[in-house]
Amino acid sequence: MIEVKDLKKEFKKTIKDPGLSGSVKSLFHKKTETVKAVDGLTFDVAEGEILGFIGPNGAGKSTAIKMLTGILTPTSGTLKINGQIPYKNRKQYVKEIGVVFGQRTQLWWDLPLTETYSVLKEIYMIDESKFKDRMEFLNEVLDLQEFIKSPVRTLSLGQRMRADIAASMLHSPKVLFLDEPTIGLDVVVKDNIRKAIAKINKQDKTTIILTTHDLNDIETLCERIVMIDKGKMVYDGSLMKMKNTYGKIREVDVSLFDGNSADKIKLSEAFGLTCEDYDIEKKGTGLVLKFDSSKVNMTDMLNYILKTVGVRDIAVKEADIEEIIRMIYRSEVKLSE
Amino acid sequence: MNRLRKIRRTYGAFTNAGIQDFIAYRANFLGFFLGEILMCFVMYFIWKAVYASSGKTDFMGFSMVDMMVYVFLTNIAGFITGTDSTYSIAEEIKDGSIIMRLIKPVKVDLSFLFFELGNKVMLMTCVFIPVMLGLELYRYFALGYVAFKISRLILFVISISISYLLAFYLNLIFGYLAFFLLNLWGFNILKESIIKFFSGAIIPLAFFPGPVRAVFSRLPFASLTYTPVMIYMEKYTGSELVINMLMQVMWLAIFILISKLIWIWAEKRLAVQGG
Repeated sequence: MIEVKDLKKEFKKTIKDPGLSGSVKSLFHKKTETVKAVDGLTFDVAEGEILGFIGPNGAGKSTAIKMLTGILTPTSGTLKINGQIPYKNRKQYVKEIGVVFGQRTQLWWDLPLTETYSVLKEIYMIDESKFKDRMEFLNEVLDLQEFIKSPVRTLSLGQRMRADIAASMLHSPKVLFLDEPTIGLDVVVKDNIRKAIAKINKQDKTTIILTTHDLNDIETLCERIVMIDKGKMVYDGSLMKMKNTYGKIREVDVSLFDGNSADKIKLSEAFGLTCEDYDIEKKGTGLVLKFDSSKVNMTDMLNYILKTVGVRDIAVKEADIEEIIRMIYRSEVKLSE
Repeated sequence: MNRLRKIRRTYGAFTNAGIQDFIAYRANFLGFFLGEILMCFVMYFIWKAVYASSGKTDFMGFSMVDMMVYVFLTNIAGFITGTDSTYSIAEEIKDGSIIMRLIKPVKVDLSFLFFELGNKVMLMTCVFIPVMLGLELYRYFALGYVAFKISRLILFVISISISYLLAFYLNLIFGYLAFFLLNLWGFNILKESIIKFFSGAIIPLAFFPGPVRAVFSRLPFASLTYTPVMIYMEKYTGSELVINMLMQVMWLAIFILISKLIWIWAEKRLAVQGG
């Protein structure tokens, strides 16, 4: 359904020397610098799949999504979605996709919500009977009834997001792009939106690309994730595999009687670990220790700690998905294995 | 034909939304409208003083009644051809929300245009008809005979429609400048003043000395409000009328072309702001 090959996007950025003199200088002589926002992405998405597209802020997610939706023209690489090339014939291409940018709205701000839907009905040339069925379905899934007659500006953020998702689904698109659809929402609303997305995916076999910073979104919805950082792909595979591969990182929180004694713990000497295998962070009178449990098992590690320092309290944690991703973002985990 | 129907269906929805949007902000509009009418009276009294002190009843072919008609008509024309397209498109480019138009199967310029047409439909019914009625009544009582001609009204409507499209595309081009400049506030004020002066909205172009007038009347700004007003007032007749309307069409074609070219250029190099 979606084929992306070696996709690249470069921007020219003007560099300005600091201060007023810099501003004046840049008026006459512009220095530019090329920024690689997306630097060689390759992945496929099958029909009906929900792909989680994640990465830290500024990783190039939005730029990638904007290319996939036909807004931006790639610098190089090939792109084929639903049999079409997004940037070639934008008007034709966007007829069969739906897009939600969580931070923006496609609703008519001052008009009752229904008006947005009637405008969209005309734009997409949806038949009256089809439109009715569709509205009924979306209403059932997203529960729009209570605010459908209110002007959009009076809606709460959660209502607005539901309305926006409905607006992007009205024409039964084959591919749906959801860019942070749960941003700024409370737990209950997030949960409802996730359920709605899952239902839409199941009923319509819609292919969905979902970007989010909320990993619960990913855990409930996506079987597969693509992670990018600095414009490059750092992981492509199932969530399970990621957990199994990187879940071996374990965390031990230790609270000490004497904060200074923390220095006595020397893992490289005790177990021959290299600095890539562990991480120690001091926190007040305690410390947080992360290590690779495939190199040293937990029992040995605990024994060593209890023997070396005076422990007031100790807690062992399994690294959850959030922790794994945090480590990948901070490049603490090498993904090239 | 089929294509036309499709366009009407797609963009008609925007016009509909435009009408409703207008209604949503009617109080705001009322204030604006009263302000403009007040401005008309200020201009009227200024010209009245000018005529009184000159001691003549006729100045460059304009009688006092003509002047009254001119002032109100120019303002009405300014009202009808006035367009927010510079502001609205520049704003969307600046904050990046223009992408919400790009993800829809519509042309960006037409979606702006048809939305605004909805506003204009309301404007025509709420302002144009009553003011024209008042103006004609004034003319009738001042002159003692009916000066109104239906053929002139029709020509005026055609001419002002072209004017509006011309204004829309001229402003669209200015709006597109936001791709390069990102903030247009200062430029917009400069543009407004240029248009006001060169379009004859402040002083009729007929009052300028010969060579200056010749140049001014060939500029696109004259096509904006001056031409339709002159047509209505029967100052343009025969070949002069035809030439001036053709000028309008020509400028319209030129501005549409320029706006298309800029858009094609910008679409390829679009760098969306934010998010």
